[in-house]
Amino acid sequence: MKSMAIVVRDDSYDKILTPLAFAYLTASEGTQVDMLFVNWAVKALTAEGAAALRIDGRHAAEEAMVREGVAKAGLPPEVYDIIKALKGTGCVNFYACSLAGAIFGVNEGNLIPEAEGIVGAAWFLNEKAAKADHYQYF
Amino acid sequence: MSETQVTSTLDTTGKCCPMPMVETNKAIKALAIGDVLEIIATDVGTRKDIPSWCERMGQSLLSMTEEGGVLRYHVRKNR
Repeated sequence: MKSMAIVVRDDSYDKILTPLAFAYLTASEGTQVDMLFVNWAVKALTAEGAAALRIDGRHAAEEAMVREGVAKAGLPPEVYDIIKALKGTGCVNFYACSLAGAIFGVNEGNLIPEAEGIVGAAWFLNEKAAKADHYQYF
Repeated sequence: MSETQVTSTLDTTGKCCPMPMVETNKAIKALAIGDVLEIIATDVGTRKDIPSWCERMGQSLLSMTEEGGVLRYHVRKNR
């Protein structure tokens, strides 16, 4: 697999781990990974938003256990640190959806430097998702 | 039968997916062709991950053993 595109919608701490782990796994093999963050997940591409990610709903009370498990597994427990590790592979590009940015308050002023920028979904879907060897949606 | 000459050992004990594979990819890059990487793991997911990774990446899985919950792989770097 040479390329993979991932759209991330879910923004709770536990649910965002899987797309980040899959990206890390494939990027470590040299696969080019392009990730578009949409809806509330776009806030994960800001330092404040990444730090504010929590586990929602019926699993909320188990957050400490999950964070401990993540650290034991060898991943950094903070989402921003995972993003930095992914960026360090040299194979992952992070994009913020422009619509999501407009709705949920992410702009070029608060976007983390690890992100490539704010893009339209049409560009991502046509230039990245449609051309990727594999496409995932979380 | 001669024992495999291990060049380098990667101990991923306690770590889980994706870290054993992320660290294996890093470790193999640091080796020369013909070197043998020993990977120690406790993540049972590596039972399938490492053999398929070897096949996909063109590396040779020389051996795979499991004792007391500890998995040990010997991988020769081919490319």
